[in-house]
Amino acid sequence: MAHRTGTIRILGIALLLSLPAPIVIVAGASFNGGGYIQFPPDTYSLRWYLETFTDPRWPMAFAVSFGIAAATAVIISAVNFMAAYYVVRYAPRIASALELAIFSPLFFPHAAMGVAMVAMVGQFGLLGTAPGIILAHLVITLPFSYRPIHIAMRSIDPDLIRAANVMGASEWQALRDIVLPLCRSGILTSLLFAGIISFDEVTVTMFLIGPNITTLPVQIFAYVQDSASPVLAAISTISVLVTFAAVLLLDRYAGLTFFVRRDAA
Amino acid sequence: MSTEERATPSALLLILPVLILLVLFFGSVVHLFSYGFYEDGEFSTRYFLQIADRPDYHVVFLRTVLSSLTVAVVSVVLAYPIALLLWRSDRWRNTLLIVVLVPWLVSLVVRTYGWIVLLGPRGVINEFLAWLGLVDAPVKLMFNDLGIIIGLTHVLVPFAVISILASLLEIESNLEEASGVLGATAFQTFLHVVWPLSLPGAFTALMVIYLACIGAIVTPILLGGMTHNFVGSQIYQEVMYTFNMSKAAAWSICLLGLSFLSLILLKTIERRLLGKRS
Repeated sequence: MAHRTGTIRILGIALLLSLPAPIVIVAGASFNGGGYIQFPPDTYSLRWYLETFTDPRWPMAFAVSFGIAAATAVIISAVNFMAAYYVVRYAPRIASALELAIFSPLFFPHAAMGVAMVAMVGQFGLLGTAPGIILAHLVITLPFSYRPIHIAMRSIDPDLIRAANVMGASEWQALRDIVLPLCRSGILTSLLFAGIISFDEVTVTMFLIGPNITTLPVQIFAYVQDSASPVLAAISTISVLVTFAAVLLLDRYAGLTFFVRRDAA
Repeated sequence: MSTEERATPSALLLILPVLILLVLFFGSVVHLFSYGFYEDGEFSTRYFLQIADRPDYHVVFLRTVLSSLTVAVVSVVLAYPIALLLWRSDRWRNTLLIVVLVPWLVSLVVRTYGWIVLLGPRGVINEFLAWLGLVDAPVKLMFNDLGIIIGLTHVLVPFAVISILASLLEIESNLEEASGVLGATAFQTFLHVVWPLSLPGAFTALMVIYLACIGAIVTPILLGGMTHNFVGSQIYQEVMYTFNMSKAAAWSICLLGLSFLSLILLKTIERRLLGKRS
């Protein structure tokens, strides 16, 4: 029997390593000195990274994506913090109904979501603008951000807040000095998770871009279709590094166990 | 924290933002339906009838459903050894989890691009095969259904790993010990204790991955090309190239109907197989 578990183990390791393989190959190819994609590279150079920085379209798309991700993460975390606080403290009875509504975008296929978001954003005349993209990203990240915050909020002992109230703390003081710090890891998870999702979102976002604005993943999508330049490998690698850094921050400051728990939600 | 306090009117302001977002979302769904059933201000079912009529459109739906099912099943199967590996390694679990999470969270378009680099006619795999002298001409690995399935599977395996691992981590360790004490071999324990208890996670993964696949656009366009359309790539073309919102909305509504029907079907199967527990 031991050899059977051993085989599964080796298979597991091989499959695990295959997950990052395409990304690693792209990263490797981005250092190729030649004018085409080559892995492993013949010669090594940073010329494609230099080109990425000199063509203003890439830094621009990067800045737009980063800004939209930051705005989305902050707004959606604040919205969900308030909602979770309201539900847990004032209206536990509506908790499951609200959750159902909040999680409903998850059951929407992304292609249909794209068309629905075009309809919504277009209605406000915000197609091809940053606020339009942020609005759509708020809807997309809503369920992912609510869950960690709600889990953290629910685990706070209500006596702590009662005690604070008895000691003369106002509602606001209790919120600021007790609830907020105790929700810290939930809020951090929400901020980083929503930020990553927004930064990397492409399927819905590509319906919402315009002549004056595009995001990094959408621009990569547009270029992949008609260019084989290693610039794409360089810019892809940069985008992977941003996601990687965010995951490391998540691991360091909030832990990754949130992703592998079933109980809550 | 769960104390029910009497809400002051100002406390209602706390829930207002999320309600606004939900109204916007459900409003957009209403909008989608009005686009789908109205053309130039008049009620019309033209594009629905068109979908019902045209055999080439049936092929698109069929391809989407069959590819998505394949991807869902293959992803879950491939995810099991990885999930078991992570579950068994207490010390390294966190590091290994990063190896799973990063590919999952990296942009879809970047991961698909990685597969173009690998599968393309002058890609890494074909160059390698040629170098080995196994092939004379490049093997066609993309711009077909195979390419789409490979790409989507790779994109979605990490989610299956996470979902199955979550189920495995719920298993109490004394269950396994008990099984061992009672004389079961490691393999018997796996077959009769671990595997059944991991099924809820596997089913969640199956459903989520299937839903993600039938709504996919980017991977089918990049790896399937314009000849192997998915429902998603068709919708994208109607919005971006022919500017036909009514047709795109009609397709989206069909896609929604398809996903709800599939979800109900999969849920029924799950209940049959797993009993009332889930």
